[in-house]
Amino acid sequence: MPNETNSTIDRRQLLGQLGGGMGMLGAAHLLASESSPNAGPHFPAKAKRVIHLFMNGGPYQGDLFDPKPLLEKYAGTRPPGADLLTERPTGGLLPSPFQFRRRGESGIPVSELLPKLSQHIDDICVLRSLHADNPNHGPALLQMNNGTITPTRPSMGAWFLYGLGSENANLPGYVVLCPGRPVRFSILWNSAFLPSEYQGTYINHSTIDPEKMLPHLRNVRWDRQTQREQLDLLRQLNAETTAAQASTHSAPHRDRSMLDARLESMETAFRMQFEGSEAFDLNRETKQTRAAYGDGHFANGCLLARRLAERGVRFVQVYYGNGQPWDTHSGHDGTVPKLCKNIDQPIAALIADLKSRGMLEDTLIVWGGEFGRTPTSENGNGRDHNHHGFSMWMAGGGVKGGMTYGETDDFGFRAMVDKMHVHDLHATILHLLGLDHERLTYRHAGRDFRLTDVHGRVVDEIIA
Amino acid sequence: MADPAFLPPPATPAMSRIAKRLIVLLGLLVVHGTVNADDYETFERKVRPLLVEHCYECHSAGAKTLHGGLRLDTAEGVRQGGDSGSAVVAGKPDESLLIETVRYDGDIQMPPDGKLDADDLATLTNWVRQGAAFPPSEQTEQARHGAIDFDEGRRFWSFQPVQRQPLPDVGGSDWPQTRLDSFVLAAMQRQGLAPTERADRVTLLRRLCFDLTGLPPTPAMVGDFVQDESPDAYRRLVERLLDSPQYGEKWGRWWLDMARYTDRTASWLYQTGQSHFYRDWVVDALNQDMPYDDFVRRQLATDLMPETEPSDLPALGFISLSPTYWKELKLPCEIIKVIVADEWEERVDAVSRTFLGLTVACARCHDHKFDPISTEDYYALAGIFASCRQVERPLVPEEEYEPVRRARERVAELEAEITKRKREKPLPTETIEKLTAEIQSIKASTPQYDMPMANALSEESLFVVRAGKTAQDGTKLEYRAQSRDLPAFIRGNPNRPGNIVPRRFLTVLAEQPEPYQNGSGRLELAESIVTEAAPLTARVIVNRIWLAHFGTGLVDTPSNFGTQGSRPSHPELLDDLAAHFIDSGWSLKQLHRQILLSATWQQSSSAAAESFQRDPENRWLSRMNQRRLTFEEWRDSMLMATDELTQVIGGPSIDLDANGNRRRTLYATVHRRDMSPTLMVHDFPDPTQHSPKRTPTITALQGLYALNGPLLLNQSQSLVTRLEREVPHDPAAQIDRLYWLLFSRPPDDRELRIGMQFLKPADNDSPATRLQQYAHALLVSNQALFVE
Repeated sequence: MPNETNSTIDRRQLLGQLGGGMGMLGAAHLLASESSPNAGPHFPAKAKRVIHLFMNGGPYQGDLFDPKPLLEKYAGTRPPGADLLTERPTGGLLPSPFQFRRRGESGIPVSELLPKLSQHIDDICVLRSLHADNPNHGPALLQMNNGTITPTRPSMGAWFLYGLGSENANLPGYVVLCPGRPVRFSILWNSAFLPSEYQGTYINHSTIDPEKMLPHLRNVRWDRQTQREQLDLLRQLNAETTAAQASTHSAPHRDRSMLDARLESMETAFRMQFEGSEAFDLNRETKQTRAAYGDGHFANGCLLARRLAERGVRFVQVYYGNGQPWDTHSGHDGTVPKLCKNIDQPIAALIADLKSRGMLEDTLIVWGGEFGRTPTSENGNGRDHNHHGFSMWMAGGGVKGGMTYGETDDFGFRAMVDKMHVHDLHATILHLLGLDHERLTYRHAGRDFRLTDVHGRVVDEIIA
Repeated sequence: MADPAFLPPPATPAMSRIAKRLIVLLGLLVVHGTVNADDYETFERKVRPLLVEHCYECHSAGAKTLHGGLRLDTAEGVRQGGDSGSAVVAGKPDESLLIETVRYDGDIQMPPDGKLDADDLATLTNWVRQGAAFPPSEQTEQARHGAIDFDEGRRFWSFQPVQRQPLPDVGGSDWPQTRLDSFVLAAMQRQGLAPTERADRVTLLRRLCFDLTGLPPTPAMVGDFVQDESPDAYRRLVERLLDSPQYGEKWGRWWLDMARYTDRTASWLYQTGQSHFYRDWVVDALNQDMPYDDFVRRQLATDLMPETEPSDLPALGFISLSPTYWKELKLPCEIIKVIVADEWEERVDAVSRTFLGLTVACARCHDHKFDPISTEDYYALAGIFASCRQVERPLVPEEEYEPVRRARERVAELEAEITKRKREKPLPTETIEKLTAEIQSIKASTPQYDMPMANALSEESLFVVRAGKTAQDGTKLEYRAQSRDLPAFIRGNPNRPGNIVPRRFLTVLAEQPEPYQNGSGRLELAESIVTEAAPLTARVIVNRIWLAHFGTGLVDTPSNFGTQGSRPSHPELLDDLAAHFIDSGWSLKQLHRQILLSATWQQSSSAAAESFQRDPENRWLSRMNQRRLTFEEWRDSMLMATDELTQVIGGPSIDLDANGNRRRTLYATVHRRDMSPTLMVHDFPDPTQHSPKRTPTITALQGLYALNGPLLLNQSQSLVTRLEREVPHDPAAQIDRLYWLLFSRPPDDRELRIGMQFLKPADNDSPATRLQQYAHALLVSNQALFVE
C-alpha cells in the first residue's frame, strides 16, 4: 500500500492504485456505495470543479480591487508610524493612477483597467484581506499551490483529485495550462506522497494544436485502425492466458487484477486520443465564441479551461504567462494596463460563457497571484512584493457574488479586518468542493497530512 | 479595525513595593480559591461566557486540538499557562500574557479571527486586576505535560534485542531449503495453507535476473541455464548475478529512492560538485558488498573516520544532496530561521526514516503522538545537522588541491571585479579585457583547474542572525567552525527557543544517551545507529531487502517501525534474519543469497485457487507475488532486446529523452525541481523526500505513453532492424525470436498463430511495418511489463 499505516486498506488509496485513471467515475461510485469515511465528498458540494486563474508574479491590489484614496494625500511620503517595510527598499507611497468606479448593483469599486470584468462584479466575491507567509516568488507559489513553503507536499489539485476523483475517465483530472513555465515549475502541481495519478498534467498552450499540447496524444506512425488492431492483439494475448488457465482443472490461478487494469488503461488512453483532441481543439468553437474571449495566450487558456471544465476535468489552472509577468519591480504603471487588457475580456467572457451554459453555479473560479504588491514605490516607478495583504476573488461555485470580504489598512498594505490566510482560502475551496479540510488526510511518514497542515478556517461569510 | 476610543485602564499609580507584593499574594490566594462567591459569580456571568465564545474552541478540554498547550477552562490551566508560560499574573493585567495577547500588543494576537471589542477587553482586564478568580473544577485534571515513559517505550517489539530463533516444527516437511523456509512454512501451516510448487526454470531465471540486475536474461543465458542439469546450477547463477556490476546498478537505484537522490541541486547553490559521484559511490559500495554498518557510517560521517580517502567523500551525498530551500536574505531573520529549521527537519526525517524506520520528525513541534520520541530527542538530532554544512570537497588530497583552490579563489575575485566594472560608464573595455585575459591565463596555467568536486560536508554550524540592527536590515547566514546544540523550539517555531538540548542519540534507543563530543556528532550518531540501535537498524534493512524481493515486507511499513507501523507478519523470521545479518558482518549479499535460495522465493506466482481465496493479499507467502517492472526495468529491457544498451557503469547523467541516449535509466537525469514528465508519469518517486517504496499506479497517461511514446516507436523500429538482420523474411522465426528477446521463451502454438494472423500482409503496410506494429504491441504487453 502506498501509505505507511497498518489500518485496514483505505478504499481511496486502493482505487488510486488499481483503478488509476481508468474510471474514477466508477470508482467514485464504488466509494460512495461503501460509505468509507474517507470516500467522495464529505458533504454535499457546491462546486464540482475549479478554474484557477493564476496571475503569476503578483498583481497589485491597489490598482484593481482595493482602492485607497488616502494614498493621494500621503503620496511620496512614508507617514510616521506606518509599517510599510518589505524585503527591498521602497520609497514613499505611490498612488495608483487608475480610476475606480462603483459597478453593478452591489456598487463594488472596480478599476478602469478591467472594464469588461467589472460588468460581472455582481457575480464576484472580492477578497481583500489575503495574506501569506513569505514574500519570495518560489515559497509563495508553493504556499498558494501546495499549502506550505517546503517543496515536499502535494498540490491542492492533487488533494482535490485524491478527495473526489475525476469526472471524466478519458481526460486527465487536473490540467495546468501555461504558455511557458511558471517559476518552480512542476513542484507546483506535483502529487508528492500521494499516488502519482493525482499529479497535474502540465500543458504548454503557447501553440494551440491539441497534438502538441498533450504529451504523446498522437501516434506519429500508426493510424487509428492500426492502434485498434494492436489493442485487439493485446487483448487476445491477455485472454489467451486466461483461457489456458481455465482449461486445466488443478490449474494454477494468477492474480489478474493488475493485468486487466493495465489493458483497460490503454483502452482509456486510446479513447483519450480522440476525446483529448476534441477537448483541446479550440477550432471547434464558433467564431462568435472565439471572438468573445479575444486573442492571446490567456484568452486561449480561459477558453480551454471552459472546454475542459465542461468535460468534467476537476481542476484547471491557467497561469498568465511564462516566468512571472506580473512582477513589476519597475515601470509598473506602464506594464499593468497591458497585463489587464490581456485578462479583462477573456475572464469576462469565461464568466458569461459559464453562466450561459448553466455551469457557473457549480464551477468555482479563483483569481489571484501568489501575493500582492506594495503601495510604496520601488525604483521610483515599481512596486515590491507584498504578502502582508493582497486581493483575490472568487466567482461561481457556491460563493456569494457582489460582495467584498476583509479589509487592508488605510494604505492597502496589510490585511487588517477579517484576515484570510492562504490556509483559510484552501479550507474554503475544499469546503465548496464538499471536502472537510480537517478530514481530508493522508497518512505518510508517521502522521496524517492535510493541505491546510494544522491551520485553516472555512470562511463561511462568503458562502452562498 | 481597533476602536481608537478604547484605552487600556489607567496604569496603576506608583505603589509601594509592599502594596505590590500584597496584590500578588492576594492574587495567588484568589486563584487558589479563597475568594467569596461574588467573585465566582462575576466570573461565571461575565468572564466565562467571553472565554467560551472566544477561547474554548482551542483552549479547553473540548478543543479538537489543544493549541499552545493552554487550557482556559480550569483554574489549574489558567495558573499553569501554556507553552509560552503563565497566562495570568493575578492582579497584574499588564504583566499577564493573556491580556497582552487579547490586546493585540505582543507577538501572539488572540482571538485569531479579530480583536475583542473594548467592553470585552475591559471585562477581562478587570477580572485579572481583581485577582482572576476562577472556581475550582470538580475534577482538576492532571497537567497534560506528561513525560514519556521511555522504559515502557523500550518494550516495543522493534526495539527489542534480536536473536536467532529456534527453528519451528514443520512436521518433517522436506519443503524447506533454507532456515527462512521453516518459519514461512510453519506460518502457512498455522493458516491451513500449503506452499506452491517451484516456478519453472525459465520463469525463475527471468525473475532472478530482474531482481538482481534489473535486466532480463539473454536468450543464451536461458539456454545455458535450462540445459545445465547440475544440482548447483541455480546457486551458481545466483552467485554470478550477485557478482555482476549490474547488481549494483539495480540496487543502487533502490537505495537512491530512499536517499532522495537528485542529479541537479538547487539552482541558487554555487556548485560545481557533481551528484553522480554519490550515485556511483552507492553502486560501487553495493557491488563490493560493503558491510551495511559501514555503509551507514560512510554516508553520515566518512570525513570523520580515520581510514578515509578523499575518494570516499562522495558518500556524504546522502546529506549533502539534501533539499535546500530558498533563503532570501533581504527578509527578516525570523522568516529565514523557519526555513532553516525546515531544512533541519528534512534531514532528521530522511535519516531517521531511512536508517531507523522511525518518524522522528513528528516530534518537532510536540512529543511524538504515538512513539516514545520526545521533542528533546528531535532537537538532539536536529543539532547534528545544524552543525554541518553542505560544501564541495575535492576528490584528491588537500595538498594536491591547494593550488587549484587558490586559483579558483583568484578567479572568483577577478570575476567579481569584472561584474563591478561592467556597471561603470563609460565601459572600461580595456580593463575588462585585461581581467578576462588574466582569468584565462590562470585557468590555463593551473593543472586540473576543472577537477571534479564531491558534494560533501564540513564541520561548520549555521547561525541565522540579523544583518543589521533591526529586523528590516535583513538576514545574515553565519557559518561558524564549531558545533551547536539547538534549543527545543516551542511548537517547532525557531523564534520561540526553549531549553538547549545537547546533541545525542534517541532516548528510547539508548539507556542513558550521552552527549556527543566529536564535532557535529555525525560519526557518533552513525555509531549509535549501528551499535546501540543495531537490532532496529538490522530489522529495518532486512525488511527492505525482503520487500524488494517479495513485493511486500514482513513489515509492510518499511520506514515506520513505530507503533503506527505494521507489526511483522513473521516476527521470529524477521528476528532470525536480522540476527544472522548482524552475525554475518552486515552483508547484504549474504542476505540476498538466503532469500533467493529459499523455497519460499522460488515458488510460482500461479497457485491453487485456495491460496488466493484464503489469503488474497498473500501475507503468508503461499505463492510468489507477481511484480510489475519499474519504468527503469522496462526501458532497460527494451534496450537489451534491441541490443542497443550501453553497458558502461557510472559517470554523469544524461537527459532521459536525449537523442541517442542508450544508457541504463539509472543514469537519466533526476532533476528535483524539473522532473522528467516521463519519469513522473511512471511512478518515479518524488526526489524531494525519502521514499520508502514505490507506489505503482495504472493510469491513462501511462497508456498514452505506451501507445505513442517515441521510445516505443524507436525501440520497435530497432527490433525490426535486428530481426531483419537475424531472421530475414520468415515471420514465424521472427515471432519466435521476438518472444525470446522480450519474454525469454518461445511462443506457444496459439501465440504463434495470433502473431502470424497479425503479420498477414495488410492493405497498405509493408511486412516490415506490420512487424514493427507487432513488436510495438509486444513491448507494451503485460508479458513484457510483469515478472511472474
